[in-house]
Amino acid sequence: MAPAIQGGKDYLYSPSENVIASLQPEVAALSRWHGAPPKGIGLEANLLAQSKQYLNWGSAENAHPMDIFSLAVTDKQTLTAGGSPDIKIHSTADADFPLIQSIDNAHNVGCHHIVTDGKGSRAISSGFDGKIKAWMCQDGYWAAEQKLTADLEAAKAWAIALSEDGQYLAGVNQEGRIKVWDLAADATQIRDHETKGSYGTCIDLSADGRFIATGHADGSVYIFTTETGRMPFSLAGLVKNVRTVAFSPAGKILAAAGDTRVIVLYDTASGEQIASFTGHTAWIMSLSWSSTGEYLLSSGFDGKIKVWSMQTKTCVATLSETDKAVWSVKWLPKTGKTEAFATVGENCSIAFYCEATG
Amino acid sequence: MASQSIQSLELREQDASVREYIGKTLVTLVHGLTLPPPEAHLSLSVKRRANSTSCIINPITGALEASPRVETTRTYSWPAKTAYEEWKFSMTCTYTALLYSLTCLYSGHSSNSGYLGPGHSDGTAHLQKVNRDIYYIDPGFFRAQYVVDGVIDDLAYTIGVDREALSVDTLIPRIENADEIEISRVRWVLVIEKEAVFHRLARAAYHTRATAGEGLLVTGKGYPDLSTRLFLRKLFDLASNRIVPLRFYALTDGDPHGIAIMSTYKYGSAAHLHENARLSIPRLQWLGLRVSDIIAVPEVLGDKALLSLTGRDRKKIISMLYNSPVWASDGPELQWRVELQRMLFLNAKAEIEILYECSGGLEGWIERRMFRQE
Repeated sequence: MAPAIQGGKDYLYSPSENVIASLQPEVAALSRWHGAPPKGIGLEANLLAQSKQYLNWGSAENAHPMDIFSLAVTDKQTLTAGGSPDIKIHSTADADFPLIQSIDNAHNVGCHHIVTDGKGSRAISSGFDGKIKAWMCQDGYWAAEQKLTADLEAAKAWAIALSEDGQYLAGVNQEGRIKVWDLAADATQIRDHETKGSYGTCIDLSADGRFIATGHADGSVYIFTTETGRMPFSLAGLVKNVRTVAFSPAGKILAAAGDTRVIVLYDTASGEQIASFTGHTAWIMSLSWSSTGEYLLSSGFDGKIKVWSMQTKTCVATLSETDKAVWSVKWLPKTGKTEAFATVGENCSIAFYCEATG
Repeated sequence: MASQSIQSLELREQDASVREYIGKTLVTLVHGLTLPPPEAHLSLSVKRRANSTSCIINPITGALEASPRVETTRTYSWPAKTAYEEWKFSMTCTYTALLYSLTCLYSGHSSNSGYLGPGHSDGTAHLQKVNRDIYYIDPGFFRAQYVVDGVIDDLAYTIGVDREALSVDTLIPRIENADEIEISRVRWVLVIEKEAVFHRLARAAYHTRATAGEGLLVTGKGYPDLSTRLFLRKLFDLASNRIVPLRFYALTDGDPHGIAIMSTYKYGSAAHLHENARLSIPRLQWLGLRVSDIIAVPEVLGDKALLSLTGRDRKKIISMLYNSPVWASDGPELQWRVELQRMLFLNAKAEIEILYECSGGLEGWIERRMFRQE
């Protein structure tokens, strides 16, 4: 049995009273959104009793000239990267979501992954040319971490994930190898796990740092224990390309999805498949857990965005404001009482949504 | 016609400069051979063609061209310092000598004829027929067709003539300046990467039955040769003054080579930077195939319609993104750039033949897509 996790809030089996209570509408939560109430635009209202509504909270239109492939969030910012060479930083502390910094020429041939640590003090980005770069944040302003970037010169990975404390970078490459680098020790490679060689498309590190999960082109999903470097069990993977894997905040559940259009949930203590969510009709590109683990967010190649309740195991909201692919979705760190998330993709914009209350 | 005779004269001047260059070069070489060994420095100099890593999109011609640079030459000597130099020297000599024998053969014939009509009766046209087979004269010596092509390119650039003055192959009828092409009824030109797709559409007589009106189907069987590009450019120029514009569409695979082939038609190739300005087709529109075209209709085509990228595909895409101004972030084709990136991002590519299976087949798809692009 895996060690008990402190403060875990994953709703694995039967929801507690607390969960239900927390789903009640919060009074006056909108005061957080700077006066003007958000407009509900083009939302497909789900009329089920437990449905929720997410309102268009605003957007940074055409934030990039080309597709935005990746999105990372901190307490007050979004970091976005894609087809253009720059990384853009927008503020989420202001309802206009202003651009506050543009790191020009970060990746000349474009960037497909950008990740941040839990504190929002470090970011790692990965370019289409295979170059991995490190960035640090001071007083809300990002600068290149030159030495670390040089140390990462030999690091090769497609998908990357950064540990909560920013010390460990995990990556999976095109040969399906999973590696971990210690960024506090000159980016020394400390782990090298081999899988069956299928293209590694996605990776996640659990917030407590105990697990690494990867998804692969042949549909396989792996979980490694970071402490031992072993696979505690083999998972029954998906049949087709896996495009996204995500650990719940307490690390008890791993969600995986991709071309099968189904989201599969695994119990990380046993490796058993505990649930699957169907409803998407296109490839699923991205998954993100809300900070409490109550909701799972997913986005599809067809532009559809869905919110799934872990309590009811159903889809509680579907947004279809665009028919362009949504490459990445992320819940914003919960700063008020209301949950909000950001989405990026083929339409070159960053869109923000918040939960409708009352 | 007056205009025709002027064009003919220009053509003759090109031939004249070819003959002059060959004559001079061979005389110098033969003279070198008559000297006693210590003084006999046999050498051949060719102008260096622009390096493909330093090119730009010329805003005026819309073609891929060499960025401004100092012209340099490369000299091959005999006896040579290296085996490679010796090989290059003898290859260039052999080719020059071949050209000489052929120009001698036909110069009398064409000088008697004052008119260079569309019958390809001049010496140059005969040269082409022979040059196509040069590689097969001695494959072991020339090693590969591209080696012959390289020598031809070097010589043409050095002499200052079009490549066709020295060589051509005949997938597409060679167009002389004096040839007349009647295209008043043609509404569109579909440039197709694959020969099989071309034949399928031709068998179905799509060029006569399209909703968009009568059209032309053209294939260059992969990367186009210069005469295919010249032919298309001729059509482009002929239609440039029309009130109803002639539309040019590209139909290629949704893979890095498909995009590179489309770019060769529209902007030119890195190997012929000095020729691109007169061969490019600036108004070429991208009909497809995009990877997203296939993902978007999975219920019809199924996910099996997509292929994973190979390691070579990935390398090819990265080098395209790195090296060419066509796909640069400040370049003219952001949609091409991002399509290459999406291929990497999705690890997917698609072949045109997939469209045979979609609703209405390949023709139905083209109809819908042409309509959308208008």
